[in-house]
This record gives sequence, C-alpha cells and structure tokens, in this order.
Amino acid sequence: MLSADLVTATGIAYVGLLFLIAYVSDRQARKSKSSFLRSPFVYTLAISVYCTSWTFYGAVGSAARNGLEYLAIYLGPTLVFIGWWFVLRRLVRISHNQRITSIADLLSSRFGKSSRLAVLVTVIAVIGIAPYIALQLKAVTSSIQAISGASAAQGTLRGVDDVGLAFGVAAGMALFTVLFGTRNVDAKEQHHGVVAAIAFEAVVKLAALIAVGLFVVFAGGGLEAIFSRAEAAGVDIYSTGTFDDRWIAMNVLSIAAIICLPRQFQITVVENSDENHLRTAAWAFPGYLLLMSLFTLPIALYGLTSMPAGANPDMFVLTLPLAAGQEGLALFAFIGGFSSATSMIIVESIALSIMVSNHIVMPLVLRFTQGQGVGDGRGVSQLLLASRRFSIALILSLGFGYFYLTRDSNALAPIGLISFCGVAQFLPAIIAALFWKDASLKAATAAVAVGFVVWAWSSFMPSFESASPLVAQLMAEGPWGIYWLRPEALFGVADIDPLANAVFWSLFLNTATLVVVSLFTSQSALERVQATLFVDLFRRQGPVGTLMRGSAATGDLQFVAQRVLGIEKATALFAGAGAEAGTPQFIDRLERELAGSIGAASAHVMMSKVVAGSAVSLEEVLQMADETQQAIEYSQQLERTSSELRDTARKLEEANRQLRELDSQKDEFLSQVSHEVRTPMTSIRSFSEILLGEQHLEEAERQKFVATIHKESLRLTKLLDQILDLNALERGKAAWRNVPTDAEAVLDQAVEVCSALARQRQMRLVVDKQGEGASIDADADRLSQVLINLVSNAIKYNDAPEPVVEVRSRRSRRHYIVEVADNGPGIARDERTLVFEKFSRGATGAVTAPGAGLGLAISRQIISHMNGRLELLPTRGRGACFRITLPLSGGAAVAE
Amino acid sequence: MERRKLVSAALVLTLLGALLFMPPLASVFQIHRLVFGVPAEVIYLFTVWVLLIVGAWWLGSRLPRESEDEG
Repeated sequence: MLSADLVTATGIAYVGLLFLIAYVSDRQARKSKSSFLRSPFVYTLAISVYCTSWTFYGAVGSAARNGLEYLAIYLGPTLVFIGWWFVLRRLVRISHNQRITSIADLLSSRFGKSSRLAVLVTVIAVIGIAPYIALQLKAVTSSIQAISGASAAQGTLRGVDDVGLAFGVAAGMALFTVLFGTRNVDAKEQHHGVVAAIAFEAVVKLAALIAVGLFVVFAGGGLEAIFSRAEAAGVDIYSTGTFDDRWIAMNVLSIAAIICLPRQFQITVVENSDENHLRTAAWAFPGYLLLMSLFTLPIALYGLTSMPAGANPDMFVLTLPLAAGQEGLALFAFIGGFSSATSMIIVESIALSIMVSNHIVMPLVLRFTQGQGVGDGRGVSQLLLASRRFSIALILSLGFGYFYLTRDSNALAPIGLISFCGVAQFLPAIIAALFWKDASLKAATAAVAVGFVVWAWSSFMPSFESASPLVAQLMAEGPWGIYWLRPEALFGVADIDPLANAVFWSLFLNTATLVVVSLFTSQSALERVQATLFVDLFRRQGPVGTLMRGSAATGDLQFVAQRVLGIEKATALFAGAGAEAGTPQFIDRLERELAGSIGAASAHVMMSKVVAGSAVSLEEVLQMADETQQAIEYSQQLERTSSELRDTARKLEEANRQLRELDSQKDEFLSQVSHEVRTPMTSIRSFSEILLGEQHLEEAERQKFVATIHKESLRLTKLLDQILDLNALERGKAAWRNVPTDAEAVLDQAVEVCSALARQRQMRLVVDKQGEGASIDADADRLSQVLINLVSNAIKYNDAPEPVVEVRSRRSRRHYIVEVADNGPGIARDERTLVFEKFSRGATGAVTAPGAGLGLAISRQIISHMNGRLELLPTRGRGACFRITLPLSGGAAVAE
Repeated sequence: MERRKLVSAALVLTLLGALLFMPPLASVFQIHRLVFGVPAEVIYLFTVWVLLIVGAWWLGSRLPRESEDEG
C-alpha cells in the first residue's frame, strides 16, 4: 500500500508537469508554424483522448464480467478511422471552410445557422456527458482509494468518504481545466498547449497499461497459462454468446461516439491543423486502440484467478501490481489512470464550455446587456473567458451530481455507455448533414429531440434505479401501469438487452423522424445554400475567370449556341473559331457570348452541363438564385399582366352584353316610338284626308276635325319633346350640373303650379312640409319638373269620389324625402316594377288619360342624376305613393 | 492503382471491416478452441484488426491529395 499523501502529492505534481508542458508547447507553437507539435503523430495521440479511465480501468472490469464485449468500444472507432476518407475528411474540410467550433456549431451551421438547434444540441450534450464525467470522477476516486487502501484512514485524506473525495477531485479538475483551457480565446478554438499535454498523457497511459500488461503476462507465466488457468477456474474464456444484439449495439454506439462526442469532435476536427494528418491517424489511431486493448483480457483473467473473490475488477490494473508488491508499477499505473481521466475531463469540458458559452451564455448576455461594455474586442473576449469558466464549473458539477446520485452502482463501463447512447443521437443528423441535401432544419431538430427523449427514458433514467424508488417502480411496471412503455423493454420487446433496446429505439425513432419530417417540410434559402455547401463539399470551381476544365463535343456546343444566340450568329462564331472550336479558350469565349444573352450565371450553368468534368460553385449558385429570383418576379409580373388582361376581357364581354341588351332595348324603344307616333299620325292623316276630299263639310264639323288634328299634332310634338328629353338625359350625365339648392323652395314652386290643376279638377291638395332648410345638390328646374310630373299624374289619374293628393316632405340624417300620395286607383302589384319603364302606363291610366308613358322614366332618370332614388312605395288598398329620396348636400349633412 | 479505384478500395476495406466484426462472420470463429494458447475468436478479432490497420496504412499515403481532389 502507498500512503494517501504520496498518491495525492504525485497527482498534483503530475498536473504541474502537464501544465508546464502545455505552457511550453503554447509558446513554441506560437513561435514556429511547423513544429513537432503540429505533426500527425501528436494529432493522433491527442485523438487518443478517446481512451479514458473507462478504457484504463473499466475495460478490464468489463472483460472480467462480459468477456470480449469490451472490444466493441474500440472496433467502432477503428472502422470510422479506416473509412476516414468518407466521413472524417468531410467533417474536417467543412469545419475548416466554415470555421466550425463544435458539434452544435456544425449542426446549426448546416441547418440554416439555426441558433435553436445549437442550443438543443448543447443542452443534450451537457446532459449526455454528465454520466461520462461522473465515470472519471468515480474512477479517480476509486483508484485513490484502491492504491492507498487501508492507509487512506491516515494522513490528509483521513475521514474523507468517497463522496468527499470525488468532490475534491471534481473541484481540482475544474480549477485545473479553467487554468488550462481558458487562458486565452483563440479565434479558431485551437489549443496547442492542451493538445500537447493530452498527447503526452496518451503516451503515459499507454505506457502504463502496457507495463501492467507485460507484468501480468510475466507473472501469470505467459498467455497460454493465464487462459488455461482461467478456464480451469470456471471462467468462460471463449466469451460465449458475445456476438449478439448487445455487441452490435455497442459497435454502433462506439462508431457514433468517435464522431459525436464533443471532445472527439474538438480534437479530431476543430484542433486539426492539416487535413492530411488524417492519413496518419487513419492507421495510427486504430493501432493505438489495439495496443490499449491488447492486454485487457489477460489482465482481467489473471485478476479473476489470482485476486480474492469480491475484488473490484475495475481496479485490477492497480490492485494486481500492488498485490505482487510492485508499488512503483502501481504508482505508474495510477498515473496512467489519472492521465486518462484528466485528459478526458480537460478536453470534454473545454469542448462543452465552448458550446455552452457560444450558444447559450453569450447570446443571453448580449441580449440582456444590449451590447453594453462589449463594444470593444477586449470586452467580448473577457466575457467569453468568464462564460467558459462558468460553463466548466457547471459541467463538472453536473458530473459530480450524477456521481452523487448513482454512487451505489459499481461498474464503470455501463455508465460510459449511457453517455455514448446520448451523444449518438447526433449521428443521424450529422450523416444527413453531410450526405443528404434535403434534410431540413425542422427535421433535424425534431429528430435530435425525439432521440434525446427516448434516450432519457430508456437509458438515462434507468441509471437512477438504485437512487430512486419511483424510477425503480417505473422500470418494473411502466408509467401509469402502461406495460409496454417500460424503459428497458419499449413496445413490449422484453427479450432484448436493455442497452440494445435503448440504442435501437432511440436511433430508429430519431432517424425515422429525420427522414419523414424532411420529406414533408421545406428548407429556407439559407438552409439550401448551407446544404449545398456541406453536401457538395468537394465539388467546387476555382476562382471566377478560370477556364472550364474538360472538353465538349463541338456538336453539343453548337447546339447550345444555336438555341441561345440564333443560327446565324452561332454559325458565324463557329466558322470564325475554325479548328479552335472545342478548346477551353473557345468554351470560355462562347460562355461570355451566351452570358450576353442569358446572364452570366445561367450561361455558366448551361456550359457546365455541356462541358464534362465541370461543376457549379456556390457563388454561381447564389448568382443563379438571384437570377432565378428575377425570373420569378418577371413571371409574376407577366402573370399579373395576364390576369389584368383577363379582367379587361371579362369587362369587355360584359360591356358587349350590355350593348347588345341596349341594342335590343333600342329596337323595342323604336318600335314603341313608332307605335306611339303612328296613332296620332293616323288620326291626323285621316282627318286631313277627310278635309281634303269632302268639300261639303259643315263648318262646325270642319272646325272639330281641325281641332282634332291640332290636338294630335300637339300630342305628337310633346311625345317627340319627351323622347328628345329622355335621350338627352340618358346620354347627358357629363353635362349635368348639380348645385346646392333649397329643396323646399323647389317644392313650393311645383305645388303652386299644380294647385291650379287641382282646383280645376276640384281636388284637395294637402301639403305637409317638414323639411325646412334642407339643402340638396340638384338642378332646381329639373327637380321641379319631376315634382310637377308626379303631382299632376296623381291629380290626373285620380278618380276617387273625394280625390285627395297629399305632398309630404321631411328630412332624415342624410336625406331629404318627398312623398306624393293619392287616393286614386293605385297601381297593380304586377305593374309596380314596370311603371318606370318607357311607354308604360298604368292599365287604368292608359284608358283614361293620354300620355306617352315617358314621364316616370324621365323623372327617375333625373333623380338618379341627382344621386337620389325615385320609388313607388308598396301600399295597401287604394292609392299610390311615390317617394323621392335625395342626399343632403355635404355641408348640411355635416351640420346634422 | 487509379485514384477512383483507391477510393473504392477504401470503402470496401471499411465495409469489409464492419462485416468481419459483426455476426454472423464473427461467430464463425467461436469454435471453443485455443489457438497459440489464446481463444480462437480473440485471435480472429485481433488479426482482422491488424489487417485493417495495415490496409489503412497502405491506403493512407496513396489516396489522392488535396491538390488532386475529385473534380
């Protein structure tokens, strides 16, 4: 056993060494651009931050419990790096082009630079990583306890339980990371010093693990001896049933993790200074993983056979050398484990803090301070550093919180798998981001959210089973007793490993959401541009002005040219080129010619289609989008014009219909006029013929005939006058002049004219005027004409024994109203609409009184010229009542 | 080898690796027998692993460089 004080002191000294390495490397990196620090091997070693205490301690524990299963965690990343050309290279290239700083930034950038998606991804990452941080805290705590053993009861650690120890470790790590990772803010978020320190730690942990492994093989008498002894002891050394659903699930998870873990993204993608480093990492990193897992199985098996039953297999790496009295090796192993934990915590919390501060804290701070005090660059970088530090503290406290809640569970590996499954929810969105242009923001957001919820339910929550009776009950019975929602047997599939259950359902629902929502939603313009940038990453054109690469058949070129330029011009162009046609120079010239007709972008697109081996660059796409926009606007204009035309055509048709109607009305009118004229003409002709033919007429009779002729010609004249009048009224709207008129005065005048007629017929004319001071816009003479017409009609056609004609006037808010009522025969119901037509007379009137039947038609015309209404009120029994409604002139209306 | 063939080779290597690590191919070597004193499936997995690493090393320097990207 080593003393707790020695172990603590070693740990602190080691951290001091790391700090020194980081400091020196930072300075060196700033001095020269091509130092050893930027070599592909340092890059590869830094990627090995993937191997945490989980690998160092947990893999042995996992191998002791489940045999070969631990390998799945390293085979997935191996595959990803073997296939670096397809995914990692794209990620690195995009991130360099777009200055991506984190996985949240990547997804947000691809999906239209959405800040909401960035926030969602950040929150999920922080929650998802908490178990992973807890794992490191747990491993460091256990390792300190294991290596100091009974001596932990003395020295500085006396009386400190594992929670207190873990808190101390978490606080120390937070301080360490703040000092390490937030000394300055780099625009590209690259931390050369940190990378150097991580690479150093990678060497230390590999060396320590191999040292322990060699020691175990030596102590166990060779591999064969270890395996056969284990087999003899009843251990299943053949890992029966390893290659099952859980194996596949773990491989899938580790594939996702090497891409999606924030710290892996940070090191592999963000800290990458040269894309070609991937060429080395592609084999060197899998090699590192292989070396790291080479001795895991022997250590586990040797531990199982040589250690007392009940020993924690997670700590075999430490306890085996200790049990053999190899204290130096044990301390080295402790340093190795400490290295793997610190490197993970440092990089993970730096990566997460970048996400939290860039996507959550900064936007909030900037919104609430409205930019005060951050106007200068200094303010911003101070603020960034402060929010990074705050985020690191937050992330470690979340990790500690998770550790505290789940401190009763003992194995390391299952905790790590929870985190893996959490961050794996980003994988479908990332793959879609790289390869599927139609993946939309809404789909990505929904997919990540769905995956997160399923993960939280089926993987994250069950880890609290031992801490919360409620969770335990939920897991046994499902929520509200819904059996098929039990977290570890979703949809009733119970004969599946819980991990495979969580992995399958979360990724399946996640991917399904992504695909389905993408198919049913559309992208914004920015999303489309970003999608093109991401997916067509390697399909780009050199700067504008370079010649098209490749070649094209002259025939194709000529075809295009003819389509655009016309046959004559195209032929001239090709004749001028002669043998040169088809060369890049000629293609370039042709493109410029085409551009003159159809715009540069379209011309380029057209030529790109013809010329093999060329593609469209983003700028061109944007330009094209612009031209497309113009085209859309133009077509909208066209559409508007054409709809106007349609409108006009419809109006014309309507007018034509009216014209035809009027034409037929005119015919009818003419026939009526002819008829009306014919009657008096007939009598005039016959009487004058009599006068001419019969010489021996009596004087009295002659007088009578002449009088009749005179009367008929008067009637004829009057009829013609009225027709002319009506005609003038119907077409004379423009010449009409309304002037403010005192309505009552006009009424007085009209009544006076008619009173003589009334007296003559011995008729009572009752006048009831209540519209005093009403001013209307009217033509006084014409209005008088209408009133006289109405009153005289009422008098003329009244055959009542005690005939009475009433004239009433009044004013409403807006109108002046005159009613002329009589107790005459009235107008039959079916004639009411006809009385205002030309040449219509009441059935009764037609018999009793002469008249052309134009009076009411003229009257209505006149009133309508004065913007009023002339109508026949419905009456009961005898009598008719006409009403004129005229609007009061503006001034009077306002005065009301 | 041509550029395009190299890229195809990289894809085949990756997919082949994935297939070899998964059942049913992986289960083929679960024969409950020690080879060189080690269970056969362990030897199998590590051998495939080493071959993949060698393949990646061979391809790493041969796959096209930035300047000669696919057009």
